[in-house]
Amino acid sequence: MTDLAIILLALFGVWTGWRVFRVDSMVRASFALMLSFIATAGIGLLLSAPYIGVATVFMMAVEMLVMAIFMVMFMMNPAGLNPMSMVHQHRLSIGAGVVAFAGLGAAVLLSDLPDSPVAPGTDVVAQLGFELLGPSMLIFETAGVTLLATMLGAVILSSRQGRFGMADHGSRPPGLEPGGAPAGRRPEKGGGHGHGHGGHGGHGDGGHGRASDDHGGEHRGHMSDGDHEGHAGYSPDGAMGAPGPEHGATHRTPAKSEHGGEHRTAHGPGHAPQDQKAADAPQEDAAPNADPHAHHRKGTGHDGDDT
Amino acid sequence: MTLIIVLLAASALFGIGLYGALSQQSFVMLMMGLELMLNGALLAIIGFWSRGLGGMPEGQLLAIIVMAVMAIEMAIGFALVVALYRKRQADVTEAIGTLKR
Amino acid sequence: MSVLLAAGVLVALALGIWLGAWFDRLAPALEGGRAAGPMAPLRDWAALLIRDQAETEAPDRMNRLLAPAWYLALAAIGLSVVPVAEGLALWHSPVGIVVWGSCEALIVITVFLHGWSPNAPFPLIGAYRYAAIGLPVMLPSMFVLIAAALPAESLSLIAIVDSQRDSWNLVRQPLGLPLFLVVGLTLTLRGPLDFAGGVDIAGGTSAEESGAGLFLWQVARLATLVAFSALAAAVFLGGPLGPLLPGPVWLALKTALVMALTVLAGRLIARTTPSRMLHVLWVWLLPLSFAHLAVSGMVAL
Repeated sequence: MTDLAIILLALFGVWTGWRVFRVDSMVRASFALMLSFIATAGIGLLLSAPYIGVATVFMMAVEMLVMAIFMVMFMMNPAGLNPMSMVHQHRLSIGAGVVAFAGLGAAVLLSDLPDSPVAPGTDVVAQLGFELLGPSMLIFETAGVTLLATMLGAVILSSRQGRFGMADHGSRPPGLEPGGAPAGRRPEKGGGHGHGHGGHGGHGDGGHGRASDDHGGEHRGHMSDGDHEGHAGYSPDGAMGAPGPEHGATHRTPAKSEHGGEHRTAHGPGHAPQDQKAADAPQEDAAPNADPHAHHRKGTGHDGDDT
Repeated sequence: MTLIIVLLAASALFGIGLYGALSQQSFVMLMMGLELMLNGALLAIIGFWSRGLGGMPEGQLLAIIVMAVMAIEMAIGFALVVALYRKRQADVTEAIGTLKR
Repeated sequence: MSVLLAAGVLVALALGIWLGAWFDRLAPALEGGRAAGPMAPLRDWAALLIRDQAETEAPDRMNRLLAPAWYLALAAIGLSVVPVAEGLALWHSPVGIVVWGSCEALIVITVFLHGWSPNAPFPLIGAYRYAAIGLPVMLPSMFVLIAAALPAESLSLIAIVDSQRDSWNLVRQPLGLPLFLVVGLTLTLRGPLDFAGGVDIAGGTSAEESGAGLFLWQVARLATLVAFSALAAAVFLGGPLGPLLPGPVWLALKTALVMALTVLAGRLIARTTPSRMLHVLWVWLLPLSFAHLAVSGMVAL
């Protein structure tokens, strides 16, 4: 009876594990992985490991939730409405997988397996507790310290601010083919460029702020055109001050469609060095009279909050 | 008998996970392959502990360690993906081919 | 015997669902609104049941159908580890609070799937919002439950109830119940922590639901309220312990009390934006629950 349940759970776990790489959506894939883990947990429960089994469910549920949140950020096809197959070295991988399974399976079938089951009525949870805080305390503590190091490492690795400037400074997307031109967002307008971008906005303000409303409007449009990340709310009105709302509303859309491309070619490269300067030297420009740079600093601070 | 079933399932999970880790281009999917391999390892440990160790608590301890490894893999993996995305705006392995040179 | 017990727990769950629905309809009286009678929930449900289900474009049918069922099942599993009388629970799990913790985590995932599967914008926004909020709520929940397990020296709920013979955990660990109420509000999608639904996104994960699907979802929410309240009553209020009356009656009374508290809290505490709530959860609630665990540990020593 137990064996039958274990066979069914094992089949379910292997099948859901296989589905992970066969479904068209990352959400389905990660929850298929979760089901595979739940099958493992069920087998653990049946094999008299209540704590390990239930803790696996808990851990994997939370972990797959984290996965789901990350998928929002990194996946082009989270809903699975289109087929999704992104593989390389496919045959080699299939071969490696089959060889691994065959090798391990042969080892399982050919070797003489031990047979000494857990005695019924053993309080395995209490045993585990005494083991964790008794003879194996050093191992347990090592795991704890490693997890602490992991937390620090994860925060440091994923932090945008760094000792040598922003982590995404000068970041360029990869080419579509090896050695090709950068794909995706343009580096001087990219969303990962909030920093340089804020500098650009500041520059536009300083250089053209006194010019006609129309021109300012264009610049505003230009800024919001490149705004892919959170600072859209800040830049149009915050950088320009008073004439903000209606101009932001009226000019942003036209600028996007009509002047956006023009600006990219006309102003993009020409402004680049100044952007660089504004971006690289925030300290010197901290004085309140340096209006554009003050805005620029505000802009970066805001970016930091958002990311 | 029970142990053989469990271990066969564990090796199947490990094989599928290896296939996924080698074949997937997307970092997130690749990490799912790694998780699946760890799932196989966890299943094998539970099986061995329950049917071969006579309930020695060290077996459970090993399972706990595997869970900690999973958490570490997940946290550092996603941190690396975020760092890489910041630097290269990349979410597939092909985008970091320059690491070869 | 265990069949009888299971039937009893199910009947109690059904009664609790009805009671929770009635509490929800009584609560407007606090703000000068009109309170409805005890039959109002049944009428509303009957009206829901005869309505058609709305269809969306390219939904994930399986998950859409299964999400309310999962939610209900998880509530039932969570309830099954709660001791109904001294030393008697439907599922004598030696790791009762870990089982409940797993149910919590899976409930968050179920709500996410419920919002994800209709393939429509508002439910999806609700799902992602809720996932971001639900994640940090899991941590205080675990700390609070571990703190409650410390005096009992066991993860089993039966032992935790048994450890409260002299004084309830509510007295020994006064912060526990308020912190756990936050968890309850999240799990039952209520008030300040109902980021899955809410009028600001047109009903959120349930925006596309109607008819039997919506009915089942509402029932599952209430079932989770019952399970959460029963667990909170067992962990903090001594569960079935009490003089004169038999244990199950005490448990039912205490459960009803926690249910009323949760409905009240959900009604009276204002909602805020998800980003501000995230700040509150990570920066204030997490350290607070950690301090609670440390203090409880010292008291238990």
